Amino acid sequence: MSSDSERFAEAEDGGPQPEKHCGHGRGGMGEEVKRKEDQRFITGRGNYVDDIKKPGMLHCEIVRSPHAHARIENIDKSRALKVDGVVAVLTAEDLLEHDLATMPTLMDDTQDVLVNDKVKFQSQEVAAVIATDRYTAKDGAQKVVVDYDVLDPVIGADKALEDDAPVIRDDIEGKEDNHCLDWETGDEEATAKAFEEADVTVKEDMLYQRLHPAPIETCGAVGDYDPGKDKLTVHMTSQAPHIHRTLFAQVSGIPEHKIRIVSPDVGGGFGNKVPIYPGYVVAAAASYVLEEPVKWVEERSENIQSTGFARDYDMTGEIAATEDGEIQAVRTDVLADHGAFNAVAQPSKFPAGFFNIFTGSYDIDTAYGTLTAAYTNTAPGGVAYRCSFRVTEAVYLIERMVKVLADELDMDPAEVRRKNFIQPEQFPYESATGWNYDSGDYEKALDKALEMADYDHYREEQQRRIEEDADKLLGIGVSSFTEVVGAGPGQSCDIAGVEMFDSAEIRVHPTGNATVRVGVQTQGQGHETTFAQIVAEELGMDVDDITVEHGDTDTDPYGLGTYGSRSTPVAGAAAAVASRKVREKAKAIAANELEAAEEDIDWDRESGQFHVTGAPDRSISITEIAAGAYMNHPKSEEPGLEAINYYDPPEMTYPFGSYIVVVEVDRETGEVEFEKFVAVDDCGNRINPMIIEGQIHGGLAQGIGTAMLEHVTFDDNGNVTGGDFMNYLLPTSMEIPEFETGHTVTPSPHHPIGAKGVGESPTVGSPPAIVNAVVDAMSHGGISHVEMPMTPDTVWEKLDEAGLSMDPADNVSLEFDDQQSGGTADD
Amino acid sequence: MKPAQFETHEPNTVEEAVSLLESLDDRAILAGGQSMVPMLRFRLAVPETVIDINAIDGLDYLEEDDGWLRIGALARHADVEESDLIDEQYGSFADTAPLVADPQIRNRGTVAGAIAQADPKGDWGSVLLAHEGEIVAQGPDGERVIPAEDFFLLPYDTTLDENELITEIRVPTPAPREGSAYHKLKRKVGDYAMAGSAARLVLDEDGRIETADVGLTAVDITNVRATDAEDHLEGERPGSEVFKRAGELAAEQSNPESDEHGDAGYKERMVNVLTQRALGDAAERAGLVKRRVSQ
Repeated sequence: MSSDSERFAEAEDGGPQPEKHCGHGRGGMGEEVKRKEDQRFITGRGNYVDDIKKPGMLHCEIVRSPHAHARIENIDKSRALKVDGVVAVLTAEDLLEHDLATMPTLMDDTQDVLVNDKVKFQSQEVAAVIATDRYTAKDGAQKVVVDYDVLDPVIGADKALEDDAPVIRDDIEGKEDNHCLDWETGDEEATAKAFEEADVTVKEDMLYQRLHPAPIETCGAVGDYDPGKDKLTVHMTSQAPHIHRTLFAQVSGIPEHKIRIVSPDVGGGFGNKVPIYPGYVVAAAASYVLEEPVKWVEERSENIQSTGFARDYDMTGEIAATEDGEIQAVRTDVLADHGAFNAVAQPSKFPAGFFNIFTGSYDIDTAYGTLTAAYTNTAPGGVAYRCSFRVTEAVYLIERMVKVLADELDMDPAEVRRKNFIQPEQFPYESATGWNYDSGDYEKALDKALEMADYDHYREEQQRRIEEDADKLLGIGVSSFTEVVGAGPGQSCDIAGVEMFDSAEIRVHPTGNATVRVGVQTQGQGHETTFAQIVAEELGMDVDDITVEHGDTDTDPYGLGTYGSRSTPVAGAAAAVASRKVREKAKAIAANELEAAEEDIDWDRESGQFHVTGAPDRSISITEIAAGAYMNHPKSEEPGLEAINYYDPPEMTYPFGSYIVVVEVDRETGEVEFEKFVAVDDCGNRINPMIIEGQIHGGLAQGIGTAMLEHVTFDDNGNVTGGDFMNYLLPTSMEIPEFETGHTVTPSPHHPIGAKGVGESPTVGSPPAIVNAVVDAMSHGGISHVEMPMTPDTVWEKLDEAGLSMDPADNVSLEFDDQQSGGTADD
Repeated sequence: MKPAQFETHEPNTVEEAVSLLESLDDRAILAGGQSMVPMLRFRLAVPETVIDINAIDGLDYLEEDDGWLRIGALARHADVEESDLIDEQYGSFADTAPLVADPQIRNRGTVAGAIAQADPKGDWGSVLLAHEGEIVAQGPDGERVIPAEDFFLLPYDTTLDENELITEIRVPTPAPREGSAYHKLKRKVGDYAMAGSAARLVLDEDGRIETADVGLTAVDITNVRATDAEDHLEGERPGSEVFKRAGELAAEQSNPESDEHGDAGYKERMVNVLTQRALGDAAERAGLVKRRVSQ
């Protein structure tokens, strides 16, 4: 543990009291600095892909298949080419000439850029029309005539694995079924034995439905090939520009130094902008062929229907426990729908992502899990939607199962959790499936949440309503989740073979301000502020004197991008380490300027100054040191003041929290209303509490969308029936209750500033809390599960099944008095 | 948004608009654009010409006049939502306006446009039916008044002639002992109704129901009257048992389909619940006092 980490470890114990600032007023660690990037966003000066205009720029519209499974017999471009303004129509045949007809997925499957032979999901890319404006491109796209031989579609992973199911992937040599992969974890035998011998076992089936990250900015690109420099620039909505450059080089054969990926302002990613999509490749290829810039921007329905979906894990959970609620073993079996290609976005050695962290926050020494994934005639995906690679599914499984166990034992679910938590002294803790948890204090977070939620009061109120047969039932849901975020280490985590490190480069300029470049790309997380705060803290600079840049592969150091809450754990660490490298050199310059020996120079974090040991008056600031570095550099050092760090994390970080949700369930309609929503998070040392709170609010909103509204649905013919915002319902501020947030601080022992990632905790932790609350409202009627999204009809069916549904006239008799005549009916 | 190419006309008078309707073949009328704009966006509508009626003066009124509540063709949902007159006198209208779409849409979308669209999931059609309202249309041969009951034919299809422009929606001003209400079930703000029920009650001097009208949303091919429920209610004294039976009859007469918004059985059940709730509020607004009495 570094001394810096220790310092922050003692820094604070948060609570409802005002945050204790430790940034010394310069905008360093712990200060609620207003987001530097917001000025341009809220004044409409952001620069997104669709804002980019280039002279001579052409526009691309993609022709998509109306069928989910069909062989293409013929494509007739002629009518489209006659449309005034249409410049070109591209098909697989044209791409084959340039060896660009296929592209690798992140899991090394091969996906058609434009369909060569057989369509494998509805809205798959069939042809591309390039025209002088986007309206004309769409006119042209409507005139491309495609003859299809329609095949029977395969919808649903269970149907896909039936013996007589049509084979989707006949492009894979020798493939005779729709099986995609198998995976297992843990100890099968020991787990079976624990289940045989247990006092109590519980089992529940639950579907984590198909979701879509649905960022408000859809995907898009401007391909811009410069024949003069023989250089391809692709402006694209990318969460990971560098790895995309490497993949572009591999796909196109263009040398990597001749490719520049620019990810400008990105309007939300949530995992959707991690994969490469055919549209990007088509825009780049069309620009290469036509030697003009080509813009492609998705429509909303194209985004939902063809780009990476999330979840679609059909899970069975089981717990074996003692009579008094001690969990002895957990077991799960999953059927996963991967869509038409294996395009899940995971580190390559983790085909089921980090799903095997399903023992959660609990000290469970026996566990076993299996998974089978299938190909179906649906869009490829399995991206980590605001999630660290399937940890969301794992947390949902264990947090739901703990509630099922509590109900079986007639115990308070908070008590069952308390009884099974990994204890603070057990860290670092190695889990039954091999995870190495860095730090945690789960009971503290739970206790705080219980107190904030006024838990006992609501338990009493719940009972009162049951006894009085009230028309609205109360349910209280608890989730005490543990996240695993911040991939690498590079040895175990890679994307397409590239280790998952990250980077930061700091250049302190002669006039005392600095430019910081990082290898991660922000999509709204506030990196331009957060990373500046880390550097401000570590160098004693003012946060306003630091500019953070990202998203341009020509200038930024190589990094693996932003997803899986990895920016702070990895690039944030790199920023701290690079700062400390600068500080080391600054010390030598300070010694030179103060005419003292280097070993007699101390750095004072409080004042942000270097001074001679025992003589605080003889001090020098980083501004003066910067001048010295360029104008009076010591002969022992190179001129300048710069450092770069590529940080390979030794371990991941394990943020955690406890969420408590109180709901009212209407027995007449099945509608659910939020009564109270408490979120206590622990992400270690906090860089900017305001940004953290914003992240929590946003993630909770998405958790509510998951639990209550969102579902990408299909009919039996493979038509996407939930493929636009009329049918795929996102929550708005009107559906969101007031959140009460709190925090505890348990620093990561291995992170240079003791921080952990936080952006995804709320999406990971809240869905089980919400479902647990709705189930809890009906558990006295024997209900153990409600599937997401918990639409009114879904909830009402459960109410009815439990004998809890109610007619408006059932237990309340309405009588009417004539006001004017003073009353006629009896009371 | 990438619609197909179209021309626009902006008439300044109703007569000009009607003559454009007469002279142009393939055209669509744009009022608030609540449904027209998405249809253009999806290229479900590809008219050669869009006749934008927003430049016509004097069509944005919302007033009581000569025994009618008159809503001009350019009165927006937000105008209804913000009206004191509506708030005080027309319970069902006051209930409905804030439940239509979302605030941005309500600032542009019009009541008349929603009626013309004739989406069975639209809310205003049920309210209009429950108030025995009328649609006033202007055509080449002059003005025509169509009772709401005779207006809706099929989803998105009405008895409006193709050269007619709706100029006004109107309902009779309320009788002395009248109350109305609308209840709608939806999954989120801006979502369509899973089901909805509009109810209007007029009581006689004796406190019995003289007139009962119930209009239903999203449970048939058009907005429909629940006539069996109405027949059951008329002549009865308001009360939860009477309303319960009316709810059941409305549910039986409804004909919903299963979809992503819920299955048919559930929707029928909700027609029952929402009708009971709407009747309860309507009775209260008719001047009766509602009491909750535990059994």
